[in-house]
Amino acid sequence: MTPTDPTSSFFAIVSRDESWTSGAMTDSRQMHGVARQNGNSIEAVDARDERLAHLCAGALESARASVSALREARVRMRVRATREGEAELVETTIIVGIDGLSIVTTPEDVHRDYELLMGLAGSKQSTKAGRLPIVWRNGSAAVLLHEAIGHANEHGAAAVAWPSWLSVDTPIALRRETFRDLPLPRMTHLIARQSGAPFALPDERIDVQLVAGGGYDPLTDAVTIDVAVSTAGPFTIRCTRAQIAASLVGASGDPVRYPGVICSREGQALYVASHAPLMVTGALL
Amino acid sequence: MNEVYRKWGSVVRYENGVTISVEEAGEATEVNGVFEARPMGAQTRVSVPHGSLLVPQTLQTASYVAQTLLSVHSCTIERLIISAGVSRHETNGVTWTEESQRVHLSLVKGQLRVLIDLASFDIDAVRSAASALALAGDAREAPHRIRLAPNVAAALLPSLVGEIAIEQYGGGFDGKGQAIETRAVTDDPPPNWYRPSYAIRPRRAWLNLRALPFGSIDKSAPVAVALLGPVTGTTLDVLCVDGNEVFPIALDAQRIAAVSREEPVWYPYAAGSFGAEMML
Repeated sequence: MTPTDPTSSFFAIVSRDESWTSGAMTDSRQMHGVARQNGNSIEAVDARDERLAHLCAGALESARASVSALREARVRMRVRATREGEAELVETTIIVGIDGLSIVTTPEDVHRDYELLMGLAGSKQSTKAGRLPIVWRNGSAAVLLHEAIGHANEHGAAAVAWPSWLSVDTPIALRRETFRDLPLPRMTHLIARQSGAPFALPDERIDVQLVAGGGYDPLTDAVTIDVAVSTAGPFTIRCTRAQIAASLVGASGDPVRYPGVICSREGQALYVASHAPLMVTGALL
Repeated sequence: MNEVYRKWGSVVRYENGVTISVEEAGEATEVNGVFEARPMGAQTRVSVPHGSLLVPQTLQTASYVAQTLLSVHSCTIERLIISAGVSRHETNGVTWTEESQRVHLSLVKGQLRVLIDLASFDIDAVRSAASALALAGDAREAPHRIRLAPNVAAALLPSLVGEIAIEQYGGGFDGKGQAIETRAVTDDPPPNWYRPSYAIRPRRAWLNLRALPFGSIDKSAPVAVALLGPVTGTTLDVLCVDGNEVFPIALDAQRIAAVSREEPVWYPYAAGSFGAEMML
């Protein structure tokens, strides 16, 4: 058990959450509140901060405009305007779903990511799942490293020997989803980079294009990755962090923005921007 | 149809070393299929004595936290969330008040994790799970005949719909203000609505499941006393006690041989689940 740092703090939030199907709104939720922490005690009440409410409403209008053309998709928009101490933040995330697949994106990238999703929704399995090297495309290695490095860091897990060519920037800060929640040490983003990594594309391989989710268990040090779209179809990887570290055999290029990670821990779902280069691992199945 | 649901609530929650008190109120509507939820402000039309209840809630919670910490010292606490709350609901001309207590405890020893979920501040349940975990040895094959303790049976029960006779136990009101009546659970759409929060669209669900007793329980059989992970379908990872021995096992609990006639206990699984001892 890791108690939260017992400091005094003030947090305020206004959020709007809307779901749209076939161009029509189906769900709309507003939420607002403030939380004052004094030592190991937090008092939270659903008071409304008018400045944050104004910022939130403006961002929601922009988000609506950015998704108005996506009539074939299920769209969920969430705008969070928060104040933590003196720092204000407005964050808009958009989840776009088609045929059981989904991506998490922002207003700036929603159309590019929608096109990617449309392409993936029509993709066909071309390889039989098996013990083949895996090529992590579209920045999807960021999810693997999110679980194996980011969450492990949050839990203070023991060090694992990662390749010397890999560096991962994943700062941790106290974050919370709502005014009702306990702030927890969480990743703010994850950016993986390679420097001088070896790279050779295996002839026989599985290409991963989209990941549905993942998990890290601090008790067993095990990582689970649910692949949604690959040349071998959907599959699940379960292995230890040490096995993942040992499996990394190469990478190429600059970090690529992965279309979205909504990270859920202790029931609190938070957006974590994630980037990774094209990466190759050995067989993990 | 424009039915308005309103909820006022206060809760005191102890979460991993921090005590959080929350007061809020909100309302939800569903018009032409569009669900909308918004806060009303906790001070709006508050007509339940939230303020006066916060003090006893805080004291009850703090007392139970202290007892829990003392009871599990042989293990490591991975997660401890304890809450006490009161809420008032209003919809379709019906108003009702609920008080609740919840405990979620994750205990760890070695590579084993025990999960405890309770709807009351029951310290004996915590003590027995912690004692069993402290004595746990290596995993074994599941015994041929085994009992499931009420807490384990309650977690499994939602997966047994259609496998054994189950009723919805009557009492109180559902998420749309309709009385919850005792009914046999069938394949038909449930008559009642589950609404765990004002911000969640209500859905039809069988509430407060209760297995009907049958068969006989062999009290000499080993007993599964605690969950080692969430239930997946009818697959369970549990801690088993056989005499003086305690060991983890994996079970497929699809075939239930008996359900105890003893008074069941309500647990916060799915939309409510009563736990009574079962026999495989």
